[in-house]
Amino acid sequence: MATDNAPPMDEKAKRTRELLASFYSTEASTAGRAVPVSPSRVATLDSINSPSFDPDVYMNLLIRKTNLEGLLHKHVEMAAEIKNLDTDLQMLVYENYNKFISATDTIKRMKNNIVGMEANMEQLLEKIISVQSKSDGVDTSLFAKREKIEKLHRTRNFLRKIQFIYDLPGRLQKCIESEAYADAVRFFIGAKPIFEAYGGSSFQECKISSEETMKLVIENLKGKLYSDTEPIEARAEAVVLLKQLNFPVEDLKNKMLDKLEDFLLDFHKESKRMGITNTELDEPNGASIAEFSKTINAYRIIFPDSERRLIELAQDLFTKRYETIQQRITEQLSSEALMLALRDIWSDVSLMDQVLPEAALPVISLEASRGVIKKYITGAFSALLRYVSEALTGPQTSPKGTEEQRTLQTALESSKKAVIQGSMDCLLDFRHLLDDTFELVTKMRDLIVDWVQEGFQDFFKALNRHFLMLCGKIDIIKNRVNAAEGFRAEKVQTGLVLVLAQLSIFIEQSAIPRITEEIAASFSGGGLRSYEYGPAFVPGEICRLFRSASSSFLQIYITMRTQKISTLLKKRFMAPNWIKHKEPREVHMFVDLLLQELHGVGAEVRQLLPSGLTQRHHRTESTGSTNSSRSNPLREDKISRSNTQRARSQLLESHLAKLFEQKMEIFTKIEHTEESIVSTIVKLSLKSIQELVQLQTLNRSGYQQIQLDIEFLKNPLKEIVHDEAVIDFLLKEVTNAAHERCLDPIPLEAPIIDKLIQAKLVKNKEPNSR
Amino acid sequence: MQGGSTGIVYGGLKYQARCIADVKADANNTSFLAGTLSLKEENEVHLIRLSPSAAELVCEGLFYHPGEIWDLASCPFDSRLFSAVFASGETNGAVIWKIPELYGQSNSHLWNNFILWWPIGKHDKVISIDEQNLFLWSLDCSRKIAEVQSQESVGVLHHLSGGAWDPHDRNTVAAFCDSSLQCWDLRTMKKTNSIELVHVRDADYNPNKQHIVATAEDETGIHLWDLRMPNFPFSELPGHAHWTWAIRHNPQYDQLILSGTDSTVNLWLTSSNNSDDSTSESQSDSPTQKMDPLLNSYTDYENSLNNSAKKNGRYAWSSREPSMFASLSYDGRVVVESVKSYLPRK
Repeated sequence: MATDNAPPMDEKAKRTRELLASFYSTEASTAGRAVPVSPSRVATLDSINSPSFDPDVYMNLLIRKTNLEGLLHKHVEMAAEIKNLDTDLQMLVYENYNKFISATDTIKRMKNNIVGMEANMEQLLEKIISVQSKSDGVDTSLFAKREKIEKLHRTRNFLRKIQFIYDLPGRLQKCIESEAYADAVRFFIGAKPIFEAYGGSSFQECKISSEETMKLVIENLKGKLYSDTEPIEARAEAVVLLKQLNFPVEDLKNKMLDKLEDFLLDFHKESKRMGITNTELDEPNGASIAEFSKTINAYRIIFPDSERRLIELAQDLFTKRYETIQQRITEQLSSEALMLALRDIWSDVSLMDQVLPEAALPVISLEASRGVIKKYITGAFSALLRYVSEALTGPQTSPKGTEEQRTLQTALESSKKAVIQGSMDCLLDFRHLLDDTFELVTKMRDLIVDWVQEGFQDFFKALNRHFLMLCGKIDIIKNRVNAAEGFRAEKVQTGLVLVLAQLSIFIEQSAIPRITEEIAASFSGGGLRSYEYGPAFVPGEICRLFRSASSSFLQIYITMRTQKISTLLKKRFMAPNWIKHKEPREVHMFVDLLLQELHGVGAEVRQLLPSGLTQRHHRTESTGSTNSSRSNPLREDKISRSNTQRARSQLLESHLAKLFEQKMEIFTKIEHTEESIVSTIVKLSLKSIQELVQLQTLNRSGYQQIQLDIEFLKNPLKEIVHDEAVIDFLLKEVTNAAHERCLDPIPLEAPIIDKLIQAKLVKNKEPNSR
Repeated sequence: MQGGSTGIVYGGLKYQARCIADVKADANNTSFLAGTLSLKEENEVHLIRLSPSAAELVCEGLFYHPGEIWDLASCPFDSRLFSAVFASGETNGAVIWKIPELYGQSNSHLWNNFILWWPIGKHDKVISIDEQNLFLWSLDCSRKIAEVQSQESVGVLHHLSGGAWDPHDRNTVAAFCDSSLQCWDLRTMKKTNSIELVHVRDADYNPNKQHIVATAEDETGIHLWDLRMPNFPFSELPGHAHWTWAIRHNPQYDQLILSGTDSTVNLWLTSSNNSDDSTSESQSDSPTQKMDPLLNSYTDYENSLNNSAKKNGRYAWSSREPSMFASLSYDGRVVVESVKSYLPRK
């Protein structure tokens, strides 16, 4: 109370209380933490409130640290504090005393109140006991009657049940009449436990008759299930009821699904038959699909747990249909027909999807039609490849001779046409695919574009491979597989090789650009392929491929031709004993063979390749025509001079001559011209003659024979090859070689040579005129 | 002597020449033998040695030889022994020489084309091949005679033009004629194997890989064969512009092949894939390497004004210094080249 009326004191009191509290609490806590205190016995002036306060230390410290004035001040301060604490103590004692007094008062008052209550409580107890005894009395008096009533009630229920069972057959009959099968089933199931318990004895008759009726019910239900005319709900109900009767519903279901399957098979067969006879799959098919979907729907409702089977069936149906389409693709289906078929299926699929979404039919059919289209595209390309190769190899089977000559060109033309027309047709066909607004295709648009591009890429690669195979120059590694057939045993026609060379050029120069254009026009986009692979169709790569192929075909052609000539020459130069050669009487017949061979080449090449005469000037210039024309008279001069004085220094002289001669580029790059090819072959042949001569040792007659032959060759060769300088050079090389290898090199005199040549020419004319 | 980038030239041969051989038994020097081919003059055999500084070629010995020399081969175990196939007018024959005197002579064979020495190490047998016969000679060094040990006629139809002795099997010799390459077993003297329908100019066994043979052919260039599968070559090198005259494997780096034609010598690197393939016996489809196998083509040299410098040249790798080869041109110039810069990095 004193604290309340002295607010200024309050502040002070609070502080003292705190001090006291800290004192007391430290007193308590020091017991617990006596040990950690000792080290912290640090002597500071602030430690007066700390638990480790040591008055002596404090005093010492105080005396030591503070001056007199400070001590006095501290003294006053402390005295004031002590006084305050005393006052607070007094106040606390007073307060506690006050509380004690009020508590004593309260206890005294409670004691007075309790004394009066006890009598009331006793009265209440008495009353309660009397109520209890009365209720017990009533209970015992009513007990017997109640038991009786209960018994009666039970009997009545039992009787009613028996009545129900006796009535059951009739009731069931009534139910059948009114087609209330559900009620019938319910009744029967209700009675069933009783029948099971007492069916053997008292209710036998009843049981038998009701079971018979139930059989009827089951029959009816089955009939209802099977009849398609019934509403689906009724059929579903029938199934439920049958199931309640423990009837083997599974069997029923299987039977029905089997029936459905048979139906599908029939349907499939039918559609197949239709697919073969005509491409229209529409009318009856659509009807049956609708029917099928209806059935599926019904079955789903009827047998809610049969989905899996149904899904299987539906998927099976559609895969089968896609298979039919794939089969038909191999029979060269047009893209319209393909689209029609796909569209049909798609509409059916969407129909089915409404009924059976779990079957994921759209996904499957998307996959399948993707496969179908891809197959269609690849099929188209392989057909194209076949077409082109047929166009190419056509002439091979045709009879030889003049007809073949004609067909070389036609073969080239037809295969050119085959390539370009076939590719265009393909593109057109694919464009139909793309132009279709059909939902399925639009989904796959990018894919189709990619496939088409890829298809072209692969097609041209395959074409290139095929070409190489036709010339028997396929990859050796690949050839290992059919090595038994021989690596070089094939009889490749030289003409075919030429045709291939030209065709490759054509593909490179006109077909590819055109196809690229077409693709760019209508098949751009795509880009589903990852970027690492780049675009699917790389015209540059294909062009390079065909360019190299065409030059290698030319190379092969030349090789094949020179091989033939080479064997001819080898026979001529290796066989005779040149040391014992007889005097030359006439030009040897090998020149005829050689020229014939060269003319053959010319005739063959001329059919297909441009003559290249326009390039002649350009080319002779490039190989140094000015030089050779300048050196020509020089050389003639030299030959004549050396003719007169052929002596032992001839070797040295020819070396010297060579020193001053313009270096002749004999083997120039092969171009796609008649000129280039023929001259290359001629040059190679002459070179071979030279090498062959160098391997021999000749006597004078042998040398003269060679000289004569070479002289004879001069003019006809110049007719064939227009680069006279090179021919002159090579022919001279041959005579030089013969001269070097001769033991006694004395040349024939010019008049004799002329005479023999003339004789040969006359002789050659004769069979021609004949 | 033009050293530098193009190679070291030896101009000591006065006449045309067709053959050069590496002196295998000379372990101290890189030396070659070259023989001339002249109808009218006296022919010479030059023993050419690369000077220690490898800067020039020195003529170590000059021996006159009766008749044109068509082929030379050095004895692999005695540096003084060499064989020569010669022709003089209408007579042909093969001689084994011991520097400086005549050692022994196999005479009176109609047309001896080739003499083969067992390529590695000491073996006292020599094979000579003429157009229709194979002879196996037994050399007796001490008595200086050679005896025919066995002989087999190949048949009139084949005109054998050369051969190669399998370095892996001293009983096998490959001989080639116009249309085929045939392998003969020397014990039975029977044909064991053949590659048909090739027009072989030269053939060479791979010294480091068994069963591998390279052939040089007239028109079709160079083929590499595995003798166990003679139906088709396992690799093909696009040939030269004209006939490929000679082909030689490098004795150490078996992937390097030297092939020569008129006026060019080509250095090829055969793909290692194939050779690996054949050793592991699995001839399955190994992807053909798409790299260009042609390492270098030695055509006319800068200092050569002569435009048929390399004509019909023969080539020889040095067995002592496998990165060097000598080439001989028809007009008698010997050039030694180093292929160090093309060696496969190992």
